[in-house]
Amino acid sequence: MDRVNFRTQIITRHLTNHHTSTTNLLQTATCLNYSPPELSEPSSHFDTNALRKLLDGESMDEIDHMFNLMIQSDLFCRRERGGKVFISPDFNEPMEKQREMTMRRIGYLKEQGVFDGWLTSKGGEAELLGFTRANSCGVFDHSLGIKLGVHFFLWGGAIQFMGTKRHHDKWLRPTETYEVIGCFAMTELGHGSNVRGIETVTTYDANTQEFIINTPCESAQKYWIGGAANDATHAAVFSQLEINGVNEGVHAFIAQIRDGNGNVCKNVRIADCGHKIGLNGVDNGRIWFDNLRIPRENLLNSVADVSPDGKYLSAIKDPLQRFAAFMAPLTSGRVTIAASSMNTTKKGLATAVRYSLSRRAFSLKPNEPEVLLLDYPSHQRRLLPLIAKTYALNFASECLKTIYVNRTQESIKIVHVVSSALKATLTWHSMRTLQECREACGGQGVKTENHVGQLKSEYDVQLTFEGDNNVLMQQVSKALFMEFIAAKKKTKPIEGLGLEHLNKPAPVLPLNLTSSTLRTTQFQTDIFCLRERDLLHRFVSEVSQRQAQGENKEHIFTMTYQIAEDLGRAFSDRFVLQTFLDVEATVPAGSLKNVLGLMRSMYTTIVMEEDASFLRYGYLSTDNAAVVRKEVLKLCSELRPHALSLVSSFGIPDALLGPIGFDWVASNSWSSVKHV
Amino acid sequence: MAQTNQVLVTQRSNVRTIILNRPEQLNVFNLKMTCQLLELLQAYEEDPTVKLIIFKGEGRAFCAGGDIKAVVDDINKGSWKQGASLFSTGYKVHYLKATYTKTQVIILRGIAIGSGAALAIHGTFQVVTDNTVFALPEAALGSFPDAGSSYYLSRLPGFFGEYVGLTCVRLDGAEMLACGLASHYVPLEKLSSLEDALCEANTGDPKIINNIINNFSNKNPKLKEKSPYYRLKTINRCFSKRTVEEIISALKDADKNMDDWISMTIQTLKKALPTSLKISLRSIREGRLQGIGQCLIREYRIICTVLQGVFCRDFFEGYRALLVDKDKNPKWEPSKLEFVSKRMVDYYFVPLADKGWEDLKLPARSNLTSHAISKL
Repeated sequence: MDRVNFRTQIITRHLTNHHTSTTNLLQTATCLNYSPPELSEPSSHFDTNALRKLLDGESMDEIDHMFNLMIQSDLFCRRERGGKVFISPDFNEPMEKQREMTMRRIGYLKEQGVFDGWLTSKGGEAELLGFTRANSCGVFDHSLGIKLGVHFFLWGGAIQFMGTKRHHDKWLRPTETYEVIGCFAMTELGHGSNVRGIETVTTYDANTQEFIINTPCESAQKYWIGGAANDATHAAVFSQLEINGVNEGVHAFIAQIRDGNGNVCKNVRIADCGHKIGLNGVDNGRIWFDNLRIPRENLLNSVADVSPDGKYLSAIKDPLQRFAAFMAPLTSGRVTIAASSMNTTKKGLATAVRYSLSRRAFSLKPNEPEVLLLDYPSHQRRLLPLIAKTYALNFASECLKTIYVNRTQESIKIVHVVSSALKATLTWHSMRTLQECREACGGQGVKTENHVGQLKSEYDVQLTFEGDNNVLMQQVSKALFMEFIAAKKKTKPIEGLGLEHLNKPAPVLPLNLTSSTLRTTQFQTDIFCLRERDLLHRFVSEVSQRQAQGENKEHIFTMTYQIAEDLGRAFSDRFVLQTFLDVEATVPAGSLKNVLGLMRSMYTTIVMEEDASFLRYGYLSTDNAAVVRKEVLKLCSELRPHALSLVSSFGIPDALLGPIGFDWVASNSWSSVKHV
Repeated sequence: MAQTNQVLVTQRSNVRTIILNRPEQLNVFNLKMTCQLLELLQAYEEDPTVKLIIFKGEGRAFCAGGDIKAVVDDINKGSWKQGASLFSTGYKVHYLKATYTKTQVIILRGIAIGSGAALAIHGTFQVVTDNTVFALPEAALGSFPDAGSSYYLSRLPGFFGEYVGLTCVRLDGAEMLACGLASHYVPLEKLSSLEDALCEANTGDPKIINNIINNFSNKNPKLKEKSPYYRLKTINRCFSKRTVEEIISALKDADKNMDDWISMTIQTLKKALPTSLKISLRSIREGRLQGIGQCLIREYRIICTVLQGVFCRDFFEGYRALLVDKDKNPKWEPSKLEFVSKRMVDYYFVPLADKGWEDLKLPARSNLTSHAISKL
């Protein structure tokens, strides 16, 4: 366009009231106006509140209460962008300041009574409440969620589950009131996921009835200990216990590491882990113990104890079993990580999808308006399957919480396997989604205040802490292998973990798939079960063959990782599908059920399209894989009209999303610039 | 009766002044006036010659809210739905005002109560003055703060909105300015010159209008010595609590000496209708996470449940005790907070199970600018 003409138009537009609609479309098209997706998108076909209730269940009120508390406090960095209030930590502040702000926010939440009864109330409901509170804080800032998680789930959990009455009476209440600030000293420089390999050593002195904790070498320094660098007064220290020269394995002890004034205790040395790619609001530290003496009562003695005269006492003789029983209750960490990764995913997706419903790029023909990002099939393919997957995984995460809080002695194995599989699957999904959202938002995605980019580095560590994802997935296949072998040995049908389908004859899949077959629950269940079943059989036969050749079991599991990885994913996907179906079954026929069905089909189809194992092992022929691929396209266009309602049903308040999800023209206008 | 004169309009070049003109009834608005307001607002939005709209009230009051007597009369005649139509039309007016694309200046002389207050708050600029009084007495009347109050109250600093909505406290102009309910404070004697200046400027540009009003403004009107706004810290600590019961017990703990303000606040809460308090609190909390449209739809469900009177007749009791018999001694049922269960409150937040009843249908907006979506 003629430059002079162009400038004149802009100036005219500024001079005249830009609200008055002009009939000349060409003139108004020279400058973009933001139009909220609420106006252009069809109104929801289903009750968005009812869908949210399927995600958040009974916790909805508590979640919203937490959001209310955070949004109304100045400590949560309220800022106005484009006429709306947003809250988000100031990531531009130095690490020290971010840490200070985290603690001040905790102080505020404590004042509000958020922590009352967190550890001292009993029962599943109280446990769920704890999850809800920590995770709601995590929606605002991962650092805040993690600081609470370390203090309540790790330190508090260690006292609750590894300790006995004397520890509960002494430590739980002061933990709720933050008179005691706890940390969880397990990981060392030299050992992380392999907890049994840690090198810290504790011995016992019967004369003084004290334990002596020692860091014998540099690789035994405690590492990444959240809260240790600044704030923690006490630590649950994990260490090898040596009694009379015999190593009794890993045990946990309570050690005071700082006094009431915040000074590091004698015989303890603490250093900072320094600046990190994210989570800088958490003060991760390193700890060395120089023959630190602690009272005998500080051994967390739920599984084993040492008598005053120095005898080692435990009902469980096998050290391996003892270790397993000891560690079992600590799955709560994985449960919250899985749940919190869903919140992050929802936050990123809601922002990116809202942006894609207001941002346009390129005209398909001259003089036509530019096309809305989410009207491009390729953009739909990038974002819409992630929405469906997020719903599917979120249902699974809720199911995991229920399994966890209703756990019994018998179900501990299930809790372990499911939490391992889901922690890995959900956090991987979270990172992948955030990366896709970042790219889908273009340049705006790299701007910190828009969240999607920043969240990647804030949450990346989820893939590693509380068990490296790859290690966890290997444990899943290993557990499935054990279950299978155990059932075979007893010549009993296999039970639990949803594996019952293995007792039935193998499902037969139709030779030629059609769009309608792909959408039946029968087919979806069949192919997911077939894949799990076949991979488990293949895994068992490969391991058995190698065993027959006399190979060592651990070595075998190391060598068969490829199939083990495929199996881990197959288990997780089938489990997720099952929980999805369970949720769907609770919904009466109608528009909500229809959209759930659509999302379930999207979830199963996308898994088939993306996971190479379907082609690799022949569950899909190349022809059928082509049908699957085509179906993805179709499902995308059918989900497209629901996109806005689906991300609204996530229930993340506007204030916690990125400003580009809203009026990004106003939030970037010259008048919004702070002129110095 | 010159019914048509209850809403007056004056026209000066591109400025329209809408005057609520029912001074004997403190400009309480009835269905007819509400319909007129709706029509005027819709017409002005389309009309390119209109740039600025000024709202004010004739006489001592800006507006004392909706005509409750007419509503109760309708209900007594057997039609609660007829009564509800005042609310549905009124809510559409509030929605339009809150999302309006043209600049509005509301001049709050005298009292602005209940939905009259809402009429003032949903708009671009609120000019308060020496005799402005703001109050939401609904909880005392057996109702709850509606007309979009859950939207703007929840956006006041900290938990001041919960305090204002639950305690029926009266705020003056200075307090409104301090807490963000008003944008400007202009002394009484300067109001007419302000109006003249606005008309002369003949513009809809919010920045210019803001500057003009600033020229007449008192930037720092003195808060009265005992203003609750000085108690914001205590208010935040207490009114942030999860439930009304917890709020009251936090107030009791807040100050062992129980100064006047605290004991008065507790008194008011104890006197108010228990069901109302719980509904109001939940409504404000939900409103904080919603847009103005969602807020009005929720409030419409609540008000219809109140008017329908199936679950509870307190609204009629409040009307009797405060406006008819004036014994100021309503007998609430349930009479105590602890008797109002969560389930009872839930009833007010779901669509009514009444044949033919529908959720509030808000007028479609063709152009929702960001400043229109959120005001405070």
